[in-house]
Amino acid sequence: MLSMRQAQLPKVDPLMTPRLSLNGIVKSFGPITVLHGVSLTVAPGEVHGLLGENGAGKSTLLNILSGVLHPTAGSIEIDGKTASIHSPRDASAAGIAMIHQELQQVPELTVAQNIFLGASLRRMGPLFTDARAQEIEARRLLADLDPGIDVTAKVKTLRVAQRQIVEIAKALRANARLIAMDEPTSSLTPAEFERLTEVIRGLTARGVSIIYVSHKMDEVFRLCTSATIMRDGRLVDRVELPKTPVEKVIEMMVGRELAHAAHRSFATNRVVMRVKGLTRGNAVRDASLTLHAGEVLGIAGLVGSGRTELLRLIAGVDAAEAGTVEVEGKPIPGHSPLTRIRAGLGLVPEERKRDGIIRHRPITSNVGLAAMHHFSRFGLIQKTALRRRTEELMQEVGLRPFDVTRPIGSFSGGNQQKAIIGRWLAANTRIFLFDEPTRGIDVGAKAEIYDLIEKLASEGCAAIVVSSELTEVIRLSDRVLVMREGRISADLGPGEISEAAIARAAIPAT
Amino acid sequence: MNTTARNAAPPLLSRIRFRDAGTVLGLILICAIFTVLTPTFLTVPNLLNILQQSSINACIALGMTLVIISGGIDLSVGPVAALSAVLGAAMMVAGVPVPLAILAAIAIGVACGFLNGALIAWGGLQPFIVTLGGLSLYRALALIYTGGTPIFGLPAEFRAFTNGNMMGIPNPVLIVAVLAVSAWVVLNKTPLGEYFMAVGGNPEAARVAGVPVTLTKLSAYMISGAMASVAALILIGRLGAAEPTLGTLWELDAIAAAAIGGASLMGGRGSVFGTLIGCIILGALRNGLTLMNVQAFYQLLATGIIIIVAMLIDRATSGKQG
Repeated sequence: MLSMRQAQLPKVDPLMTPRLSLNGIVKSFGPITVLHGVSLTVAPGEVHGLLGENGAGKSTLLNILSGVLHPTAGSIEIDGKTASIHSPRDASAAGIAMIHQELQQVPELTVAQNIFLGASLRRMGPLFTDARAQEIEARRLLADLDPGIDVTAKVKTLRVAQRQIVEIAKALRANARLIAMDEPTSSLTPAEFERLTEVIRGLTARGVSIIYVSHKMDEVFRLCTSATIMRDGRLVDRVELPKTPVEKVIEMMVGRELAHAAHRSFATNRVVMRVKGLTRGNAVRDASLTLHAGEVLGIAGLVGSGRTELLRLIAGVDAAEAGTVEVEGKPIPGHSPLTRIRAGLGLVPEERKRDGIIRHRPITSNVGLAAMHHFSRFGLIQKTALRRRTEELMQEVGLRPFDVTRPIGSFSGGNQQKAIIGRWLAANTRIFLFDEPTRGIDVGAKAEIYDLIEKLASEGCAAIVVSSELTEVIRLSDRVLVMREGRISADLGPGEISEAAIARAAIPAT
Repeated sequence: MNTTARNAAPPLLSRIRFRDAGTVLGLILICAIFTVLTPTFLTVPNLLNILQQSSINACIALGMTLVIISGGIDLSVGPVAALSAVLGAAMMVAGVPVPLAILAAIAIGVACGFLNGALIAWGGLQPFIVTLGGLSLYRALALIYTGGTPIFGLPAEFRAFTNGNMMGIPNPVLIVAVLAVSAWVVLNKTPLGEYFMAVGGNPEAARVAGVPVTLTKLSAYMISGAMASVAALILIGRLGAAEPTLGTLWELDAIAAAAIGGASLMGGRGSVFGTLIGCIILGALRNGLTLMNVQAFYQLLATGIIIIVAMLIDRATSGKQG
C-alpha cells in the first residue's frame, strides 16, 4: 500500500520545470524513521500548502529543506538541478528561505541590521559595516511589502505581523526563490492576515514560490493552488486545492480514528481547585478558574495569549505577582513547584526536552523523580520497588519499547510524554496540568495520550489541557476557557464549545 | 514481547558501564607497559605506594565528581584544603584533642563549601567564577592566618594514624576506600544521588519535577569541601607540618581524574568507580615514569596527553552530544 502511494508521484505540468522538487525523502534518527519517502513539487510562483497534523513530519521536511537536517535518502532539485544542501547556508545559496513560527530575529538589533544579519554590507573593504547602505537597501526591499516599517527601529518594538514582513524582506534580500512559511498566521489578527495575503500575492507575481504550512483550512483554501498532505511521516496525497472538498482534505490529514472519537465526560460537581486572580506582568492578568474532580478543562487562545504562562503559574514553576491557588479548599503557600506537587498538582510541560526529561537517566529515574520519598527507606532508594512500580505504570500507559532501564532520551516523543505522565502517577498527583500534551507526538501515540487523559478523568483526577489545536481542545474538554491578551475572555460550557465560539473569543478586537 | 524488548540493547545505559570498562582497560594498558619497561613496577610495595600517592587526589576527586555530576565545578578545593589544614594543625598544636581538631578541620571545609554553594545556588552565580573567587579567598585566609609560615609540631598520635596501616594497607588508602564506598552509595542508592544527576542533567526539568535544586547544589559543594579537608588531613599527617601553600593545582588533578573516569563537565553524568580508576591512572603514570627516571617535565607532558586521549576516545565512542 505504501509502495503504491510512493509510486503515485505528484503530477506536474510537463512544460514547466518545477521550482522545487523533493524526491522520496527519507529521514531516520537511529532506528526510528520519521519520514518515509516523501515527495513534493512546487511550481514557480505557486503557493503550495503543506498540510498534516502535529507530528506528521512537516517540520522535519522543512528542516531538511532548510539544511538543518540531512535526509537519509532522497534528493532535492531546485529549478531542475540537483541541489546538495548540507547547511542553512547552502539552502540560502540555493534560493530557499524559511520563515519559522518562532521568528529567528535578534530583538535588540534594528530592522535593517536584522535583514542583513550574517551578510552585512561593508565599506572600506571588509572592515566596517555600511549601516547607511543597509538602511537604504532595507527601505527598498520593504517598499513593496510594508513601507510603514521604520528600518531603524529595533525589531523588538515591532508587532509580530511586522516582524514577519521583515523576515520576508530578509528572504528577498538573499534572492530567495522559494519561501517556506511555518504557521505564519498563528498569532495574527484577521486584518493582519489580509495584509499577509496581499504580500504573498505580490511575491508570487514576481515568480517566488511559497510553501505554506498551516492548520487553518480557510487560509489554505484561499491562498494555495495545490497542497501536499502528510500523515505519520508519510505522503498521503497531493491535491489540487480549490477542487478538493475541505472534508476530504481533513480526512486525509487526520485519518479516521481521531476524527470520529467522541468526547466522554466524567466531570463531577466537587471542586478540587480554585485559582483566584493570578497575575504576572501583562502575560497573565487576573485569571480565575475553578476545577472539578473528573473534569477536563481546556484552555484555548492564540500563541502569546497567556495560556502556557497561566499553567506555569498554577504549577508554581513561575512566581505569580498576585493571586492564589487553593486545592481542596486549602490555599497553597509559596511559589515553588515542590509545594504544588505536594498539594497534588503536576505539570506536563510543553517543552519536554527543556522542562520535562532528564535525557541520560533511565525511565525508572525519570518516573521516580517527583516521588523519591515514596521509594526510599532509611534514606536509601528501594530500587526493586521503584522498578516494579515504574513497570506497572509504564504497562498502564503503554511504553514502547517496554524497557524501563533505557535512558528516556532514546525514546520517541510520545513515549517520553507517557513517562512524564507516569512520573505524576507515581507521585499520586490528582490535578494534571497538560501544556500542549501532543506537541511533537506521532498520530498513534496522540490517540493513546487522549485515552490516558480520559482515563485519568474517569478515575476522578482533574486535568487542565492547554492546546493550540482546536480539534484537540474540543475532543478532550468538558469546559473550555479562552484566553486573550492575558485575560480569560470566555468560559464555554458543554454545548457551547465550537471552533467558531473559541475563535470569536480568542481574537482581539481591532 | 517483553523479552524481545529487553534483548534490544539499551544503548546509553550499557554505554555508561562500558565507559567504566574502558577506563579500567586504559589502566591495565598503562600498567602493562610499565611492567615491561621497569622490573619494580609490578610489585606489591610499589602498587600500594601508587594507591597511597593517589589517595589525596582521590579524596578531592570524589567530591569533585559529585559537584561535576550536579552540573558545577569546584576550583577552590586546594585552598579549602590549605585553610582547614592550617586551622586544624593550629588547634592540634594548641592542645585541642585530635578527634575534635579533625572534626573542626572538616567543618571548616564544609563551611567553605557552604559559602560556594550558597553563592551558586541562591545567588545564581556561575560555579566557575564563584569557586575561582574562592580559590583566591581561601588561599589568602590561610596565608594571612599563618603569616605564610608552615605550622610544625603536629601530635605524634595524629601522625601515627595517618602514617599507619592495617594489615599492610596504608590507612589513607583505607580512608579513601571508605569514602569511595560512601560516595558510591550516595550517588547510586539515595534520592540525593538521583537529584545530583537530575540537576546536572537538566536543572529546569528537575525543578519542575519538584527536586530541591538549591539544597542539592548546596550539598554537592559542602561534600566537596569536606573531602578537601580530609585530603588536607592526610597530607599534613604524612608531612608532619601544615603549609598554607599546600594544595596548589589540586583542583586540576581532581578534574582530570573525574574526566578520565567519564564525568561529563556538562553535568548529569559521571561515576565514582570511574573517577577512582582515573586517579589511579594518573598515579600509576607518575609512579612509572619516576621509576624510569623520566624528567618531571615529561611527566607533565604525559599527563596532558593522557587527559586529551581519554577525552578523544570518549567523544569517539559516545556520539556527538556531550
